[in-house]
Amino acid sequence: MKRQGDDRASEWPESRFQGRLVRLRAREPEDEALLFEWFNDPDVTEHLSMRYPISHKGEREFLVRSADVGYNNINFAIETLTDGTMIGGCDLHRVSAENRSGVLGIAIGDKAFWDGGYGTDAMRTLVRFGFDMLNLHRIELDVYANNLRAQHVYEKIGFQFEARKRKAIYKFGEYQDVLVMGILEGELRLDD
Amino acid sequence: MAPRPYEGDVIRLRAREESDARDFYRWINDWETIKYLGQRYPRSMPFERSAMTAGDPTYGLAQFIVETRAGRKAIGWIGLHDASPEDRAASLGIAIGEAEFLDGGYGTDAMRTACKVGFEVMNYNRIDLTVYDWNPRAIRVYEKVGFQHEGVLREGIWKAGRWHNLVLMSLLRGELR
Repeated sequence: MKRQGDDRASEWPESRFQGRLVRLRAREPEDEALLFEWFNDPDVTEHLSMRYPISHKGEREFLVRSADVGYNNINFAIETLTDGTMIGGCDLHRVSAENRSGVLGIAIGDKAFWDGGYGTDAMRTLVRFGFDMLNLHRIELDVYANNLRAQHVYEKIGFQFEARKRKAIYKFGEYQDVLVMGILEGELRLDD
Repeated sequence: MAPRPYEGDVIRLRAREESDARDFYRWINDWETIKYLGQRYPRSMPFERSAMTAGDPTYGLAQFIVETRAGRKAIGWIGLHDASPEDRAASLGIAIGEAEFLDGGYGTDAMRTACKVGFEVMNYNRIDLTVYDWNPRAIRVYEKVGFQHEGVLREGIWKAGRWHNLVLMSLLRGELR
């Protein structure tokens, strides 16, 4: 098992914006059309907290808010290294300077990239960015109990199950448990 | 007699008044009170005065003064915050600022009363809280009231020169004792 900081992690690019398959970049106004399509698609939002339709205006305003990237506003588009196709987005929110902690969110909107390790690579890239560039100590996330596929990815890269919030979310006519997973500095696994 | 959701056995919950600022100022600057909380900075009187008048209790944010029924003495505060109407869930925070009321069941009574308000007035389905893992006294109170352990957020907070683990606990509708 290889961990962040050991010699084999040097296979990773020095750039903290970049993984092996994807790159994180700032949001651009031109992203609007794809975001509108994705976040009105029930297949994409099934495991996200979003539950309402979103308008073009809503997406445009989101992009304006997201453009000013900084410690308290970490929000990126995910694009492929091969040809720069935008395939999703990710963020770190509720970043606390004192606790050196943040909450991670991610969505791969382009269904053609749901397989092939793009989500895993984007997760690793964002967590590495959080530790190496923001000097975070802890990153946590919420995942729905029925989203086993995502849990597997998070576990694989070093997140640990920390808590099970009983009936914490109501969607599609029923309550569902939400799992809290957390990763601390030094726990990120950059290789499978 | 009409239901009195804000009345417990020994305490009652009421809205905050500007005249509570003096008590709040004392509590929020007292390390013996805030060491159990997330609070980490000193607070000024003007800050506390504006906090007291920031808004009466509502669905999304309900902050109460805990006062004794017997002498109508303000002894601390309790709040329900971050309510999500779709999930019918909210989080709870409590502090007893007057040291002589740390015993005698005042905190437990305030917990039961606030949770009852959450279920019966706000129609919540879930109330959760976090507590330092080194605070067994509070954890015992929460357990007694019916809260269940959901897990531990490792090194979830930095305070007073070190990391602390946070225990996550919750109470669902029907579990209040």
